[in-house]
Amino acid sequence: MAEITMAYCSSHAPMMAAARESAEEGQRTRFFGALEGIREDCRRLGVQVCVVVSNEHFTNFFLENFPQLCVGVGERNWGPTEAWLPIDKAWIPGHPALADHITRRLLSTGFDPAFSQQLELDHGVMTVYHELDPQLQLPLIPIVQNCAVYPMMPLRRCYEFGAALGEAIRSFAGTERVALVGAGGLSHFIGVPRVGDIDEEFDHWFLGVLERGDVESVLDLPDDELELAGNGAHEIRSWLAIAGAVAPVTGKTLAYEAIHPWITGMGVSRFQLTP
Amino acid sequence: MSLYQLHRAIFDYLRAGEVGSGGRADFDVSRYELTDEERKAFDAQDIAALYHLGLHPVLLNGYCRAVGYGRDDYRAILGAHAVPETRTGRWHKDRQL
Repeated sequence: MAEITMAYCSSHAPMMAAARESAEEGQRTRFFGALEGIREDCRRLGVQVCVVVSNEHFTNFFLENFPQLCVGVGERNWGPTEAWLPIDKAWIPGHPALADHITRRLLSTGFDPAFSQQLELDHGVMTVYHELDPQLQLPLIPIVQNCAVYPMMPLRRCYEFGAALGEAIRSFAGTERVALVGAGGLSHFIGVPRVGDIDEEFDHWFLGVLERGDVESVLDLPDDELELAGNGAHEIRSWLAIAGAVAPVTGKTLAYEAIHPWITGMGVSRFQLTP
Repeated sequence: MSLYQLHRAIFDYLRAGEVGSGGRADFDVSRYELTDEERKAFDAQDIAALYHLGLHPVLLNGYCRAVGYGRDDYRAILGAHAVPETRTGRWHKDRQL
């Protein structure tokens, strides 16, 4: 059976690729150092496919039809969408067998994801995926969530979705070693008067919640309270999905930097599943 | 007509500027059923008005960039229209209970 060999979450500000050098050197080194360690472990552990849970930014869907969840089930997906993102435009290989299995298992366990035979992958997926595999060769199953348009899936439901996702991956009758990745957050403000602000208190609090395994203190957080940490903070939904998938394993903070040139609290948290 | 029409117009305007698209110079906003207020805001590239009309922040962010406003520029413009926040989150150490 397939196994979740590694699981982690990372912020995905587009400037981490588009304006990498704008961050102070120490912050940059610490943030990318955490992702570099994960990349090395990915190779060491022989990861064969990654499942990246990120969020929709009006790249694939618009207001006529906006799914809460969509699984990329195709043989390949295209990215990055943004012309200005300095990552090679490429067809990224998918993993149709595992993606189909995930979709079917989710449907049988109370979730109703949309599916897509071809998704466009924007910075939400591509920045983090590129750090995991700069060659863009590792098969990728993208799962996009609604973290931007009301009404959104409640946080508790996102956590429960993650649990179902984890079960779905583990029940796949393949030999795949899977990396499970959450991409998004932490605090940031987009298109609002507070654009550029970072709520470091929120970020430290949330990372602490993951470290303590105290997700219950987050799961009933109302959206209007969460939004005090920025409208981009809704993207912790992807982090909570990963936490749900690997529970009761807790997340260890590998890096946290409030990087103002990137207008985002940039965190990396890893769930230690294997030595 | 509806706020949806404004969202659709802005979305299509942004897409028109992408590589391989038709460009924004000939963008025909008359195809959308905008109210006079919405049309005026669009024509004037009035981002404060678009903010007040309720344009989704992700689209407003893209629109600001598309019409030449840097982040600090649009923060200054929108900041003048901000409503002071009095609430605190449960994570804030100085939370007023």
